[in-house]
Amino acid sequence: MTRVRKRKIEGVIAMVLCTVAALTGLFWLVFILGDVLAHGIKALNLNLFINDPAPAGVEGGGLRNAFIGQLLITLCATLIGVPIGVLGGTFLAEYARGRRIARLISILSDIMVSVPSIVIGTFIYAVLVKPIGHFSGWAGAIALSIIMIPVVLRTTEDMLRLVPWTLREAAFALGAPYYKVIIQIVYRGASTGILTGILLSIARVSGETAPLLFTSFNNSFFSADMNKPIASLTVTIFQYAMGPYESWHSQAWAASLVITLSILTLTVIGRLLIKGRHGKR
Amino acid sequence: MNAAAEFDVKGLNFYYAGNVHAIKNITLPVHKKNVTALIGPSGCGKTTLLRCFNRMHDLYPGNRYEGEILFKGENIFSDEIDLIDLRSRIGMVFQKPTPFPMSIFDNIAYGLRLKGVKKISGLSERVEKALNNAALWDEVKDKLHASAYELSGGQQQRLVIARALAVEPEVILFDEPTSALDPISTSKIEDLIVELKKNLTIIIVTHNMQQAARISDMTGFMMLGDLIEYDSTDKIFTNPSEKLTGDYITGRFG
Amino acid sequence: MRKNPADIIFSATTAIASLSVAVFVIGILYVLIMESSPAIGRFGIKFLISTDWDPVKESFGALTNIYGTIITTFLSLLIAIPVSIGIAIFVTEISPNFLKAPIGAAIELLAAIPSIIYGMWGLFTLSPIMSRHVEPFLKKITAGIPIVSILFQGTPMGIDILTASVILSIMIIPFTASISRDSFNLTPPIIKESAYAIGATKWEVVKNIVIPYSKIGVFGGIVLSLGRAIGETMAVAFVLGNNHRIATSLFDAAATITVTLANEFAEADNDIYLSSLFYLALVLFVMSFITLAVAKYFLIRAERKYSR
Repeated sequence: MTRVRKRKIEGVIAMVLCTVAALTGLFWLVFILGDVLAHGIKALNLNLFINDPAPAGVEGGGLRNAFIGQLLITLCATLIGVPIGVLGGTFLAEYARGRRIARLISILSDIMVSVPSIVIGTFIYAVLVKPIGHFSGWAGAIALSIIMIPVVLRTTEDMLRLVPWTLREAAFALGAPYYKVIIQIVYRGASTGILTGILLSIARVSGETAPLLFTSFNNSFFSADMNKPIASLTVTIFQYAMGPYESWHSQAWAASLVITLSILTLTVIGRLLIKGRHGKR
Repeated sequence: MNAAAEFDVKGLNFYYAGNVHAIKNITLPVHKKNVTALIGPSGCGKTTLLRCFNRMHDLYPGNRYEGEILFKGENIFSDEIDLIDLRSRIGMVFQKPTPFPMSIFDNIAYGLRLKGVKKISGLSERVEKALNNAALWDEVKDKLHASAYELSGGQQQRLVIARALAVEPEVILFDEPTSALDPISTSKIEDLIVELKKNLTIIIVTHNMQQAARISDMTGFMMLGDLIEYDSTDKIFTNPSEKLTGDYITGRFG
Repeated sequence: MRKNPADIIFSATTAIASLSVAVFVIGILYVLIMESSPAIGRFGIKFLISTDWDPVKESFGALTNIYGTIITTFLSLLIAIPVSIGIAIFVTEISPNFLKAPIGAAIELLAAIPSIIYGMWGLFTLSPIMSRHVEPFLKKITAGIPIVSILFQGTPMGIDILTASVILSIMIIPFTASISRDSFNLTPPIIKESAYAIGATKWEVVKNIVIPYSKIGVFGGIVLSLGRAIGETMAVAFVLGNNHRIATSLFDAAATITVTLANEFAEADNDIYLSSLFYLALVLFVMSFITLAVAKYFLIRAERKYSR
């Protein structure tokens, strides 16, 4: 019986360690979110949203330029990335279904999802910034859209595959051409899933900093001109946090809080949508 | 208490999580060194009843037993029962072969190693004996260290039986052990079960009534969680007392 | 059916859209090679083994950066792997049902927090904790132990390899944990049950059945996290110190490929400097692409195995 006892004790120790691991994960989440909340909420006020930055080292001012810039870049990235991603996913799941090319693109996309985003920044610098001669909002938006496309493409592909084949056959039987079947039947059947993929991809790129550092760069003045360097929240956070002024640090915290809350909200909405649709876990 | 009883099931009720009443007040003795078959239509509770004997239901939260199962006179639901000890005395074989992700040898040795048999000579001897008892030795003796997944379905099922035999259990529970196998593998397993009952007690759940008739000594017919009739296999198949039993074995439903 | 002209246009559009991904992969590779060709011409393959990084003398080598990338990645995996597998075991085998969803959600939220937030938090919150409490403690307990104490030499500043690795490990825990969890969940319950039926304890079932059964998937998850860690920029940029030397102590500042790019790319003031940075980006792209492809290979193999 002592042997069984020893085995049981070993089991209990292992289980306790695993529980500690799970608590560690929770601990970090609570620690980081709590910290961002505590610091951010102190600096959060209306001025942050309606004022442009004060000159370096001077108290006051806000980050209106960065909020607007961030929204513009993200919006343009979404307008470029989403259609290409959805259409690309459509090709893989419909026209190229089962073909080797679909498999290859699908695998390449999975790899591209995790390729270092800073590399994409250097790529856009080489093809869009250097030839033109200056940083621009468009360069930033295109860099982000390159990150978005594989994400949207893969979720679209997966979601279209979930639509039962018989549904397409039923539509074919009525004499509909394939593109109409896709647009009118298949997209409708998979709409929630595709929307979730889009929301998650927006969440993903809104937090990106590295690909913007040398594409859209930064701008301490208000600008909505996508052909010029443009401020973004994330690059501003990087600059302010590494800067020497206390007022910069607190504004960086406030910006971090805003961006974290927006991204987590998008993520949660995305997850809830898909859960509500598919019922099961 | 019946002197020749391995198990005495007394007023057993079982509820799945959510209070689903799956076993309804069942009482029956299971005789030593006999084959006891449980038959009945799908969803009748025969597998549920089988999984009470080694308390498999404890793996999932919310399940609840009422009543008693006496195993050699001791209630297996009492707090004193050690589940690990209970399960090492009662083997189980499932519907599908369940080889572990390891070699043939290690599959058989697994239970022995858990029990603390470490010496390789002792292990080899007992592995060979178990494989012999499961009529598998000749087929695998040259590839003991190959992955268990390389065996055919029928061989895998005999491997699983050998694995159960290796720890020298007093009882083996079979849950439709041949439902995934071809007829030749099935008859090998049936022969094996008949052979095994010389030394241990067997409870088998089966869908296949001919199988129950061929190999069992006692048969219980269940429906919707009730034990409708429990008697010798000859009696059940030739002259059942209950009309429902007769209807089922003559294929009128199920 | 496919002869419909609108259908041809639509299908061609989707085909072009999906090929864009392949165009990006090839385009990135081509552009990086072209841009780094001056540096490749000047330093050749020696770039990879040279520790020089001197913009004034225009002499560049990648070794300090590659070293920094490898050491922070290695340390972060060392911390993250046991924690992630522990989390996966907890969620699949131990946790009561009502806790599974919240913990799963928490892990997913951890993955959704942008890396710049990890960087901020690392700089202002974790780094002081490391320099005041954790690092002096590590220094004290390792003092006098040969070899090990070398790792903990120097003044604990909190802006160093150790702090960067801890942040990186927190960032990759969610990936490793969720892929491990998904792999564990694919172990057929009937195989676990038959191990329990022999009298195995829960831990023995996990150790002998679940982990061996899902090891390819778990391994794929670990390699994927490795690929992510190699390319992570902002989370480490704040706390690594951008110091181009081969550090021997975990309390030394260092530079990774990504940190060097983030800090110096926009400031590179001559062609060979910029070209060397492109060369670094090329090295990074190839390293992470290969790692991610290996990860994908294992994940596909795991998927095939389970779908049998």
